[in-house]
Amino acid sequence: MTKHVPIGLVETPFQPRLEALSTAKSWTNWAGYVSPATLDTVEFEYFAIRNQTTLFDISPMHKYRISGPDALEVVNRLVTRDVAKLRDGRVGYVLWCDEEGMVIDDGTMFRYSETDFRLCCQEPMYTWLLDTAWGFDAEIADESQDIAALSLQGPTSFSLLQDAGLGDVAEMKPFDWREIEPDLWVSRTGFTGDLGYELWVPNGNALDLWDRLWASGSHWGLKAIGFEALNICRIEAGFVAAGFDFQPVHTAMRLRRGRSPLELGFAKMVDFTKGHFNGRRALLKQRQTGLRYHLRKIDIGGFKPADGALIYYKKKNEVGHVTSGVWSPTTKRNIALAEFKAPFGEGITDDLWAEVYVNEEGQWDKRLVPVTIEDKPFFINSRARATPPRPF
Amino acid sequence: MTTPTYDAIVIGAGHNGLAAATTLARKGKSVCVIEKNETAGGMARNTTLAGGIQVPEIAHLLYNLHPKVTKELGLGSARAPLELRKLASVSLSEDGNHAIIRDGKAEMVDGRPHPEAAPFAELMRRLTLFAGLLGQLSTKSPPSFEGGLTSLNALTELGGLAKLGLDLKRIGKKDMREFLRVLLSNAYDLILDDLEDSPLAGALAADAVRGAYAGPRSPGTVFTLMYRMGQGGGAQLPMGGMGAVSAAFETAARAAGAEILTGYGVARVLVENDHAAGVVLEDGTRISARAVLSNTGPMPAMMLAGAKHYDVEAVRRMRNQRCKGSAAKVNLVLNGTPEFTGHNTDLAASRLLIAPSATYVERAFNPAKYGEMPENPVIEAIIPSLTDPTLVKDGRHVISAVVTSVPYGLEGGWNDAARERLAAITIATLEKYAPGIGALVIEKQVLSPACIEARTGAPGGHWHHAEMGIDQILTVRPANGMAHYRFGPEGYYLCGAGAHPGGDVTGLAGRNSAMQLLKDGVL
Repeated sequence: MTKHVPIGLVETPFQPRLEALSTAKSWTNWAGYVSPATLDTVEFEYFAIRNQTTLFDISPMHKYRISGPDALEVVNRLVTRDVAKLRDGRVGYVLWCDEEGMVIDDGTMFRYSETDFRLCCQEPMYTWLLDTAWGFDAEIADESQDIAALSLQGPTSFSLLQDAGLGDVAEMKPFDWREIEPDLWVSRTGFTGDLGYELWVPNGNALDLWDRLWASGSHWGLKAIGFEALNICRIEAGFVAAGFDFQPVHTAMRLRRGRSPLELGFAKMVDFTKGHFNGRRALLKQRQTGLRYHLRKIDIGGFKPADGALIYYKKKNEVGHVTSGVWSPTTKRNIALAEFKAPFGEGITDDLWAEVYVNEEGQWDKRLVPVTIEDKPFFINSRARATPPRPF
Repeated sequence: MTTPTYDAIVIGAGHNGLAAATTLARKGKSVCVIEKNETAGGMARNTTLAGGIQVPEIAHLLYNLHPKVTKELGLGSARAPLELRKLASVSLSEDGNHAIIRDGKAEMVDGRPHPEAAPFAELMRRLTLFAGLLGQLSTKSPPSFEGGLTSLNALTELGGLAKLGLDLKRIGKKDMREFLRVLLSNAYDLILDDLEDSPLAGALAADAVRGAYAGPRSPGTVFTLMYRMGQGGGAQLPMGGMGAVSAAFETAARAAGAEILTGYGVARVLVENDHAAGVVLEDGTRISARAVLSNTGPMPAMMLAGAKHYDVEAVRRMRNQRCKGSAAKVNLVLNGTPEFTGHNTDLAASRLLIAPSATYVERAFNPAKYGEMPENPVIEAIIPSLTDPTLVKDGRHVISAVVTSVPYGLEGGWNDAARERLAAITIATLEKYAPGIGALVIEKQVLSPACIEARTGAPGGHWHHAEMGIDQILTVRPANGMAHYRFGPEGYYLCGAGAHPGGDVTGLAGRNSAMQLLKDGVL
């Protein structure tokens, strides 16, 4: 029986499996698709990512194909880093800006060849890509509705793939990207900072892929998860998320809500030497005149998650706020990403305090807890990079 | 690294390109102007028809040549001679009761004051006053708010705006209110608030929209009328045809030391390290320079450098520029002196308008919206040979007619048959006011907007390179973020009508662009 959905959310090809597994019945809207916030409980799902292996449906991601003789030129015109340096069969994290150097979105660029790329991102980008490609010999195709994808993340994910007959991924290094079987592309990428893979298939093969992985999964503790558990892991890994840690500038209604890649801490991702790219002149100017903000990783005293907390200098002047904050169960630290008004967070890094409210059985208390700036991701484990990966 | 051959290269030897070159050369810069056509002058050239008859090819009258440009370039001086004759305007009526506008005053054919002389004079007073206010902004780069109040540059520019505000207050509450009331409105309502709909009203309505893709009821046409009246609104006929104007600009440029290279098309602008570095000619020759100014339309200027050197938003704005040309040119050689109903040869030497009412002008524009030719077009015609007999010989005359509301995108495209039809429509329209004129025609030259584009490179054959709409003037001409002549890569400048202040033979866009370049310290 086909379900008629006149309005509301669209189902991804994996929805029949997710629906059957969901005990929490907690769904969210991800780019117009039904997506699980949690399927079971966030604790079980989180620990499955860090200790076993997990499946997360990433089909709602927007996927665009950029192909043609000028594809590399178009891609390099779009993003801030130099994609000419990305080898075939590799994936790169990319950001792209508007003419004022403000980030439109971030995502992953999959390079098939110099004339063929796939861009994956959160925000709808079709018309922007068409405009970017104007005047160039390149085709833009929106593959969002055609390609389904699963993110398999966790220390036993390689073992699971081996059992599922996909042991060929053994030689893949982080950010490698291969057609392991006809119509099954695998990238060693993810949003957890852990060992993991993303598997890409045409929509029609989606359920077969799910069932194949699921059949090999019980021995390796496979669990399907929702967004909430993943979000804890991505903060532990220090990854920024559109809409949380920065506002994609095309969706921001108010003036000056955009942030530049430099302000988000991605100066290394901006290659001023590669020729013109969108926002280059504005970014050069900003580099010269100074940044307005600094997005930093911070450690917060105590154990009360500080999402949204204001940050003060010398307990007095408000100088920033937490953009994503969680208690990290693995590192046993209270961690966050936070935006500071320059020069705080970069030039001035001491005597910073987060304002946290705690409710002790009906009695509210305001506490100022110390903030420490961190340079490295909170969660680092060598298993994430080992090639070939260890069994767990 | 080799030393660049020139300080600056100017692409296009139209009058703005020549004004830019002169301004730079007078500051001691080495400048080379490169022109695709065999002669300089762009839209302000003469063309020679059979029998050696000289006729202004496209533009035929001067309205707006700016005194600052005249003075700085020495136009009309011994250095660059130029003789101009003031022309009265005659707005024709089929019954011979023409309205005559002389020195801003309305008269009848027999010299009596026009019945509406008083309200007309008052309307002209206000428009000239307002045009003068807006004119203050035309000789500088438009004000910018970029950089806020912290940068000295921004403050200086805002100073210009502040002065406008002050002068606006100074004209008195009543006029100020009126200025702000009408600024963005349409010419039709403005004119008919004070005048009956007659040839007098029609003349103003036609002046408001000439060269524009608009009817007098289109919003923003009061602005274009004021723009036309920047120097009082009077038309001047250059002795020797429009070609003489270009010749004066050319002479001034050469006198200042600029080189002019004609007959060479520019294939592309060289960009190195995000800096304009010269040009490559169509024959492959590279000429290096420290700066490049383009007198082409904005979009062609962008394409010369390559879209890849522009941000996506800038390309999008250029792609969406409104530049549909709507004025055609019909030049007719007559085997005798034409006779106009109800007036003498003296008046025939005036600027002749076929715009019997504002409503007529509006209706004439309607077919253009659908890609059709107007059956009853608005025409601005002159017979320059009556004033300047050296243009012709053997008792012949030449009519130079600007036919408006002729669409660039004609349904079915522009071909010989379409041009022939336009000539027929033009002659039939003239015939209503000068019976027998058709029989005198011995040669016709018809330039559709598409021909004008082909001959001059003006996008859409648009007289002003880009529509002078409220969305494409001042701080947003040619587009948001590009109003300071700086055009993408460092050292690349737009110096044509597509830049502030806009079209007409003013010389300002070229001059201002050169001044901005000098101010930016590129050279």
